[in-house]
Amino acid sequence: MMRGPRLLATAAALACAVAFVPDTAHAHLVDTRLGDFYSGALHPLTDLQQVLPWIALAVLAAFQGAQRARWIILVFPLALAIGGIASLAVPLPSFGPLLGLVLVAVTGLAVAAAARLPLGVLLAIAVVMGLLHGAQNGAAMVATTDRLLFLSGMTAVGYGVITLATGSAIAFLHGAPWRPIALRAGGSWVAAVGIMVLGLHLVRPVAG
Amino acid sequence: MNRLVLNPAVVLAALFAAIPLAPAFAHTGSGVSLGLESGFLHPLTGPDHLVAMVAVGLWGAQLGNPAIWVLPITFPLVMAVGGLLGVLGMPLPFVEPIIAVSGIALGTMVAFSVRPPLWVAATLVGVFAIFHGYAHGRELPEAADAIAFAVGFVIATGLLHLTGILIGVLVGYEAGAKVVRACGAAIGCVGVYFLLGAVGVIG
Repeated sequence: MMRGPRLLATAAALACAVAFVPDTAHAHLVDTRLGDFYSGALHPLTDLQQVLPWIALAVLAAFQGAQRARWIILVFPLALAIGGIASLAVPLPSFGPLLGLVLVAVTGLAVAAAARLPLGVLLAIAVVMGLLHGAQNGAAMVATTDRLLFLSGMTAVGYGVITLATGSAIAFLHGAPWRPIALRAGGSWVAAVGIMVLGLHLVRPVAG
Repeated sequence: MNRLVLNPAVVLAALFAAIPLAPAFAHTGSGVSLGLESGFLHPLTGPDHLVAMVAVGLWGAQLGNPAIWVLPITFPLVMAVGGLLGVLGMPLPFVEPIIAVSGIALGTMVAFSVRPPLWVAATLVGVFAIFHGYAHGRELPEAADAIAFAVGFVIATGLLHLTGILIGVLVGYEAGAKVVRACGAAIGCVGVYFLLGAVGVIG
C-alpha cells in the first residue's frame, strides 16, 4: 500500500495552506518598519477577483503535469513584479477590470474542461494575469508607500500562493479517480463566477 | 463498481473546501466578507433551493457513472447562464413556482430511482439550473461585493451537491438505497409545500 506517504504529502500541503491563512490576517498589526511589505502582500488577498484566478491558474497548471507546471512558479511572480514596476510609469489600462474577469472565466473553463494546453498558452495566460494584477496592485500605492517593500510583498505572496496551490493540486490529483473530477467541478464554479460577474460588469461597469 | 470510499482524504478534501471562508471573514465588515456571507447563505436560507440542490447530488449518485461527474461539472456553468439572465434583468416567468417544481420533480426521480438516458437527465437538471441561477443572479447587483457574493453562492450550491452525492454513496448498500429513495420522497414533499406557498394556496 503506497497510500500512506501520498496521504501524508496531501496533508502536509493542506496544512501549509491552512497555516498560510492566519499569517496574513495577523499581518494587519504590523504597521512599522516592514509595514508596506505586508500591505503589498495583503493587497491581492483582500479581493477575491485576484486570488480566485490565481488558484484556478495553479490547478490548470497542475493538469498539465508537474514537468510543465513548474514553469508558472517562475513566470507568474516575475510577471507580477514587472506589472507592479510598470504601474509606476504607465497608467492602468481602462480595460483592466474587464480583462481581469475574462481571465477568471477563461481559467475556470479551462480547468472545468481539464484542457491540455500547449506550454506557450499556459504561460501566456500566466504572463497576462501577472502583468495585469501586478499593475492593479501597484496602482494602489500612494505617495507615502515604500514602493520596494510593497512590490516585494506583492510578488512574495504571488509566489507563495501560486507555488502552494500548484503543489497541493499536483499532490491532490494523484490517486482516486474522483480527485480530478473534484478539481474540475471547482473550475466550473470559478468559471460560473467569472461569467456572471462579467455579465454584471457589462451592464454596470465598476471603476478600478 | 468503483465505489466512493470515505477515507481521511475525503475528510481533508471537505476541510479544503471550507478554507476559502477563513481569510475573508478575518476582514470583518468589508465588502468582501459581507458579499461572501450573503452569497453563501442565499442558497441555504431558501429550503426549496436547498433540497433541490441536494436532490441533484442524490440523483447523480443513483445514476452513477457518468452522471455523477457530468452533473457537478456542468451544473455551475448552466446555472451561470441563468445567473446571467438574472443579472441582465431579463424577465423570466414563474421563477418561484418552477424552483418548487424542481424539488418535486427531482425528489420524485430520486424516490422512484428513475433512470432516463443521460441527455434527458441533463436537460431536466439544466432547465432547473437556469431558474435556480436566475434567482441568485437577481440578487447579484445588490450585493456588497458582486464577485464575493457569486463565490459564496456557488460554493454553497457545490457543497449541497456534495452533500447529496455523499448521502448518495449509500446506494451501494441495499438498505442505504432505500434511505436515499426516502430522502427523495421527503424532498418531493418539501417541493409540494413550497409550490402551494408560491401559488398562494397556503400562506
